[in-house]
Amino acid sequence: MSFYLECKKMKRTGLVPAFFCGGLLAAAVPVLNMAFRSEMYLGLDAPPIQILMEANWQMMSMLNILLVTAGACLMYHTEYADNAIQRICTLPAKESRLFLGKSAFLFLMCAVILAVEAAGMAFCIFHWFGHFGGLWSVFKSFGYAFLLMLPAVFGSLWIASACRNLWVSLGISVVCIFTATLLPVKNFALSLFFFAMPFQILADTPPQAARRFMIAAVAELLVIAAGELIFLKLRRSFT
Amino acid sequence: MNFFSLIRIEAKKLRRSKILWILAAAAFLLWLPSVLNSHLNFEMQAEGISPEHNFLIQGLLGMSWFLFPAGMVVSTVLLNLTEETNHGILKMLALPVRPARLCLAKFVILAVLAAIQILISVGMYFAGGAIASYTQDYPLLLPPLFVLREAGLIYLAAIPMLSIFWLLSVCIRTPIFSIGVGLASIVPSVLIINTKAWFVYPCSYPLFVITAEYGKLAANLNTAPVELVPWLPAAAGITLLCLFISCLCFGRGR
Repeated sequence: MSFYLECKKMKRTGLVPAFFCGGLLAAAVPVLNMAFRSEMYLGLDAPPIQILMEANWQMMSMLNILLVTAGACLMYHTEYADNAIQRICTLPAKESRLFLGKSAFLFLMCAVILAVEAAGMAFCIFHWFGHFGGLWSVFKSFGYAFLLMLPAVFGSLWIASACRNLWVSLGISVVCIFTATLLPVKNFALSLFFFAMPFQILADTPPQAARRFMIAAVAELLVIAAGELIFLKLRRSFT
Repeated sequence: MNFFSLIRIEAKKLRRSKILWILAAAAFLLWLPSVLNSHLNFEMQAEGISPEHNFLIQGLLGMSWFLFPAGMVVSTVLLNLTEETNHGILKMLALPVRPARLCLAKFVILAVLAAIQILISVGMYFAGGAIASYTQDYPLLLPPLFVLREAGLIYLAAIPMLSIFWLLSVCIRTPIFSIGVGLASIVPSVLIINTKAWFVYPCSYPLFVITAEYGKLAANLNTAPVELVPWLPAAAGITLLCLFISCLCFGRGR
């Protein structure tokens, strides 16, 4: 019910076309890179998905995170703008359902943008590498990317729900994203920061480390969700 | 009402916006890794740059690549949305003031916010540099005039970019698109500064200028120099065009 309502609310905010366009833009990154500089990559001795991800994922994941953050801030801004949140709070429903409904909507949007990007990546593998067995590796890589992106969705929604003004939540998120770009990708402990996780690449991570990242992502999801529920309860009792 | 009182009124509106805190936090986080990793400045023999220059330039590169442009996108959101609540902008537009002047006053405030962000970052540089000099036992601080010159270059190069962000936020009424396009336009600047047509993309100007400075300071690094001839006319043209269109569009459709 909450998810359906969120979809309805987003109808006229332009969020869905914005995500779709963002996905197309990120998908264009590997295609353009291969179109202009394919000689740099074709001679390398590594699986095509690894070559493509290492060359392009930094920029693609940056676009993804920026899109998710802007989307999360805007979703809560529609509630705060004309005090709609007060009406929501008077309904016989928990405020946390709003958060979970918005998360479900953003998860779906993430799946859409990653699917568009995976299609772009698969096109590059077929067209330039002539590799027809790479579809499974693309699927695995983007499934991993999807799981590692979920904590960033929860985190940005938490920041957005905590701040009444759009510029404050956007400002905090942007500063967090900048911090994430400064963290070394190879350092496990520092990469656990939820905005830094989406920069990880499955193809150049050892299987054991990848498993640890996936477990960490699920744990972070639970921790952030629990933190948000406690935060909402506390805020409600003090305001 | 003259232009200066308009600017003063716009500045007053931002008094309780908390934007300065965000800009200060951004500047703090910019220099924190540089201070923590200050020992790396002594391993730059391959580039042929001195540790103190490297300390400054690496921070400025981080700032001009992402933090400064993203901070400016956030500032445009602030300038546009602060009057949305309770339809404050409608009351402003109902005053006997030309909307174009209001638009220009807001742009001046955006330019002032940009200057404040750069000045806070410079202040943090001196604080961080003093700490790093103490921990490394080596003078990592450069003369203030040199630092201000570099910061001033970034600021001047950023004005066309600011006009683009301002145009986006005025003309695109759907916030997700204006924010999304603004933030997304920052990402490709890393690629564009390596092409010959960098001067047609204003979002890459600050990064290009500071990369050119890096090339000047590092003996073994070849970066493209700043060529004023295609750049200055293109930058001036883009800035004036963006400001003209945003002045025309400001307040339309309300």
